Order: sequence, then structure tokens, then C-alpha cells
Amino acid sequence: MRRAVALAVVGLVVAAGCGDDGGSSGGGGGGDGTLEVPAEFDTIQAAVDAASPGDLVLVSPGVYQEAVTVETDEVVIRGLDRAETILDGEFELENGIRVVGADGVAVENLTARNYTFNGFFWTGVDGYRGSYLNAIRNGDYGVYAFESVNGVFEHSYAAGSPDAGFYIGACYPCNAVIDSVVSEWNGLGYSGTNAGGDLYIVNSVFRDNRAGVVPNVGTYEPCFPQREATIVGNQVYRNNNGENDVIDFAQLALGNGILLTGVLDNVVERNRVWEHDITGIATVPLPEDDPQEITADELTPCEGTEIPDGVVDVPEDELPDTLLWPAQGNRITGNVVDGSGLADLALADLGLSPTPDGGNCFADNTAGSTAPVDLQAKAPCDGTPATAGFDDGALDVGALIARDKPAPVPYQEVDLPDPGDQPEMPDAATAPARPQTGSPEFPDVAAISVPPRA
Amino acid sequence: MRLPRAVVGSAIVVVAALVTVGASSAGSDRDRGGATGLAPVDEPNERFFATGGQFAVECDYSHSARVDPIVWPGRSGRSHRHDFFGASAVDADSTGAALVGSPTTCRQRADTAAYWAPSLLRQGRPVEPAGVTAYYRVAPGVDPADVVAYPLGLAAVAGDAGATGPQPTGVVGFGCGRGGPVSGRVPSCPETKPLELRVTFPDCWDGEHLDSDDHHSHLAYSGRDGCGGEHPVALPRLTLVVHYPMSGDASDVALSSGAPHTAHADFLNGWDEVALGREVESCLERSVVCTIPESARAGR
Repeated sequence: MRRAVALAVVGLVVAAGCGDDGGSSGGGGGGDGTLEVPAEFDTIQAAVDAASPGDLVLVSPGVYQEAVTVETDEVVIRGLDRAETILDGEFELENGIRVVGADGVAVENLTARNYTFNGFFWTGVDGYRGSYLNAIRNGDYGVYAFESVNGVFEHSYAAGSPDAGFYIGACYPCNAVIDSVVSEWNGLGYSGTNAGGDLYIVNSVFRDNRAGVVPNVGTYEPCFPQREATIVGNQVYRNNNGENDVIDFAQLALGNGILLTGVLDNVVERNRVWEHDITGIATVPLPEDDPQEITADELTPCEGTEIPDGVVDVPEDELPDTLLWPAQGNRITGNVVDGSGLADLALADLGLSPTPDGGNCFADNTAGSTAPVDLQAKAPCDGTPATAGFDDGALDVGALIARDKPAPVPYQEVDLPDPGDQPEMPDAATAPARPQTGSPEFPDVAAISVPPRA
Repeated sequence: MRLPRAVVGSAIVVVAALVTVGASSAGSDRDRGGATGLAPVDEPNERFFATGGQFAVECDYSHSARVDPIVWPGRSGRSHRHDFFGASAVDADSTGAALVGSPTTCRQRADTAAYWAPSLLRQGRPVEPAGVTAYYRVAPGVDPADVVAYPLGLAAVAGDAGATGPQPTGVVGFGCGRGGPVSGRVPSCPETKPLELRVTFPDCWDGEHLDSDDHHSHLAYSGRDGCGGEHPVALPRLTLVVHYPMSGDASDVALSSGAPHTAHADFLNGWDEVALGREVESCLERSVVCTIPESARAGR
């Protein structure tokens, strides 16, 4: 039935579009057409509904009070001017652009602001890309992919979301790249619940959020545990913001740069991290309140989902009220960290063994204070870890959780900074539509060096 | 922070145990064999991430009144007291069509439907609920491609206000926090997991009547083979979760309709038709998770 409706709409549009356009590119029925808003279609939604795979929906500058849902594969939606092509939810509409189960959809060079949920949201897709986007003052996330694989977020900017500016959740392997983004004044700069496996977060800026880069885990979303994200070459600074909106979890993380919470086998290399009230880079266990029951079937949506070492051999008694996920097997190497209030580098283990949990390790970092003291000697990445001394100067995580924190400011009311000069997409008016199909090109991580201080 | 081993042993993740526990319950079968079932084929309320599609809405508490526009239309004061959510102008005369475009307490403004449940009483005094989360999903036996949106004005009642004993927990039950088991009794909940009432509505329709004399017989619960017989039209499966800011001893809890086993809830469809159609088509027919409500996420 849906197909029939779509065809009927296309028919109408072709009939309408050919009259004034000579059929040169408009209409959307030809497979490589350009559908212009508002010249040919009054709304972005109307153009999107009329588009065929491979089509380009090209949107002129203006303010569009729309919540757009995309259901057609491989449509590309592009603004002609990144800062002046604006979708505005006016704190009434839910998502600026929501891609539901449509594969390969790319969104480029426009702004989504004032939505009650998300600026840009892909869910249940194979292939997605967000390029040259601004997501400003949205109620949950800025730029968001859930249960989706083979994706790219690049050259984009997110500010003022109480959850994360950029979020990729519930995928393994994700096959995804976050490259050259700027995330500020959010609850979290980056959050990724249960997301990993060829997931790269590189060359980006995370500043003035409550906390910077925070991969995390939970049974409330599929694909747990989180593992295998690669975080390289980012500038992470001043994530101590107390004047924005924030969800509780981000509030707990306040004042930390890169915080690996209950996650496994992540690589954190050659980032520059500075000016954090608590820690620069830390691995900590994640307490999860009220864990969900999981059936065996539900462990299958994500490849290789399994029970991590260190959490087996537990008595099968009643569900605890709180689950403690240990951070395990994370490698923190070659970062440059300074100006942290408590410790530039920190390890907070559950103590699963006398050595660091699952081989969490720290090596070749340039850092001042560590918690515990001499952390890099005690938890080396090559060599034998210490079996004692981890209490000496250890973080008091309980005290950090319990400390007073500035209350959230409703996201609608936060006075956000000017986004500044964010780059325009090159040749936005003429570049051909480029849907995101297949696995993205992964960055050459080895070629990325520590970025300069901003 | 290094915790002593004893703490680790008692507090650490019990994923392995969860898998074992879950596997046994996943095999349970409450199939009633057709589309005229009195209860859903499974226990739909146990969890909050869907394996199929879903959309969800979150609505604050609106108001309470001795009003029931389905059971006692036009007769204010005749009903027991209800707590209302969603459309905020609901009164005894409300119809679905009149609700479209009206003010709503839902975070999703297109949802101008009305939801209501009996007031929860503690020592005879009403406990003002925080709000509801309404999950729209597809029952396991139903082909997602078959699901259509509720017709405007559809009236649905789930649970039996006149029940004299336990009702199926797949229809109505109480629980603590998000997830976890539901029970016909009102549990004593820890502060971190406050009390919830969870009600699942029938998801098969006769295709003809927006309501029926008994307010039930135009609808039925799907079975293993989906919808059929006198109720051939598959609808979304609505599970309404009412959140109460209440924990601790619940021995003094009753409902305005009577004992806790009289739990029920009502739904009067006043959704914006275009928006509802799009949610059903986008999220349910395509089996995509479109909303993860705040109440189902950590850290909210």
C-alpha cells in the first residue's frame, strides 16, 4: 500500500514539475534528478516523499518549520547554505530530519535547531552520512544514529543538547566514522551506548560540554557491552560546563575529558586533552540502576555480542538493583594531557584481579598527575602490570558521584555561543548526489598526530 | 577506586544470569490460539527496548475528574475518578475528532489522544501520577506489514474495572521502575524504581465499530497467528505505563475503581491522523525503533 501511495505522489509531482521546469532535472522520477525546495516543492517533506533513490533534494536558504521523515533509500538532502538553510522545530516539533529504515541517506549543509528530540536522527539503517550540519539547541541529541551501521558524521557542529552532541548507539560492528566535528555546550560531547567495532572518532573538537567523550554501556539498549571504539587525534578541553542542560548521566561525568565508563577494549591515542576539573582521561566502572532482563534472542541483533570476561561466574540469584560494569582492556597511549583538577590520567577498577581490570593500560602519555600515582608504571601497555599500589592516590569515585553539581538549565533557555565560521560544503549547488552506501572509508589512524592546543 | 572482592561478587553485572533467566521466560507461551483472546500472547511489559519497531510518547499528568467519555459519555460525575493524560481538555463529552489539534500534555504534540486510568489511592487519598509513557508496538504474532493506524475516534478499554479477582498480567499489572516483572499485586518498590501501572490494549479490530456496547467486543488481543475471525484488522499494540512517584510499603494502596485487581485504562484516539499514519508506517511497518522514551533510558 505504501508503494502505491508513493507512486501516486510521484505521478502528481512529475505532472506538476514538468510544466515549469522543462523536465531538465526536476520531478524526482528519473533516478538522478534534483528536487528543489521551495522552487518545485513547498516543503522539504514533499520533496523527500517524491524523491527516488539517488535523487538530490536541494534546499534554498530559508527557515523551514518542518519535521522531515525520510523513508526512501539513498536520498540526499542538501542545503545551499549551511547556516541559512534552517529547519526550526520551534520547541514543538520532534526531529529535524529523521531517517527511518531508509538505507544510504545523506544529509548535508544545513541547520536544525529547536527540536524537542533530535536535530538529525538515523534509525535502523545501513548506510548514513551527515556532513556540514549544524545541530543547535535540540532536546535530546544533536546528530544521532541508533541501531544503524556503515555511517559517517563529518564536518558538523552540535551545541546545546542535554544528552550528546554526537551519538552513535546500539551497533556492533558499527563501521562508522566521526571526523572533523565540533561539539560544545552539550551534556556530553560524544556518547555512544553499546557502540563499537570499527567506530572511529577522530580529528574533532569536544569543548565546554559537561563532559567530553564518554563511550558507555547499558542493558537498556541492544548490543551491549560497548567495545572497540578508536578515539584518536581529538582536541578535548574545558568540559566543565555548568550553565547548560544535562541529563543525569552526563551530570555524573561533569568535569572529565575522555571518560571510559564500563566499556571494553577501546583505543584512546594521541588526543590533546586539557583543563578539566576532575580528570583528563579516565577509565571507570559504570553503575547501572535497574538493569533490564535480557533474553538470549536479544543478544543476536549485533554480531558477536557476548558476555565479557570478568562478569561471568556470578551467582544466579535475584537481579541486583545496581549493576556495575567494569571498564576493561582499554588502551590509553600517546595522549598529551594537562591542567586536570584531580588527575590527568586515572584508573578506577573494580579489582577483578590484582592487575588492572581486563588489562586497562596507560603508556607513552604526556601527563602530570595520575590516580593512582605512577599509573603509567603500574599499568603499562607493554610489560608486566603491578599487582599492588593501586590504592595509593586512587580516585574516590563515590565522592565524585556525590559532589554538588550545577543544576541543569532548560535547553530552550541556554545562552549558546555563536557557532562561528563553520565550513560550507564545497560546491553545494553543483556537487552530485552521493548516497552513503557500503562501509565508509576508515581513517588512517597511524597518520594522525597529536593536534595542537586550540 | 578498588573495591574489595566481596563487593564485586555480589554487585557485579549478572548478564550471564540474565540470559539464563530470560531464555526460560522467552519460551513461555500464553497463546490463546486466535484473535479473540482475552490477553496478549506474551507478557509485553517486561522490557523497554524493542526487538521490532516501536514509537512511543511521553505525556505529563493532566487532570483528574469523575469523568469517562467512553463508558459514561455526557455524564460527568457518574464515573469513578480518573487521572487523565494527553489531551488536556477532556471532559465527559469528548470525542476523538474533537481532540485533534487540541492542547496536549504529551511531549509529542501530534498526540492529542486521551489516555486515562483510575486514580491510585493511598490510605484513601489520591496519589498524583507523574505521567505516562505510551508504547506503540507490534505484537509477536502480527505481521508488521498488516498493521494499520487506529481510526480516529476509536475507543478502547483494557482491563476490567469490575474484576473480582486477578486479571492476566499481560493485560494489567504493577511493577517497579522500568522493566522487571509485573504483578497483579502492588509491589513495595525501592525509591530508585518507583511504582508503575502497566496496561496493554487489544490490537485487533472488527474493522467497523469505533466502540461497542460493552466497550470491549469490537476489539480483541492478537494470537500467535495475528488477527483474524471477527477482528481481522491488525492495530498497533499499545502499552500504557503510568508512573507514580511512590515507593515503599504498598499495603495501603487501592484504586478509585476498587481493589488493585480492578486496574484498567482507557484510550480514545484523537491523534493527528497524518502524524499517526506516518508513525505507524515508518516505525511499525518498517520495524524500526523510532523513539526511546526518556523513562526507558538510563540517566534520566
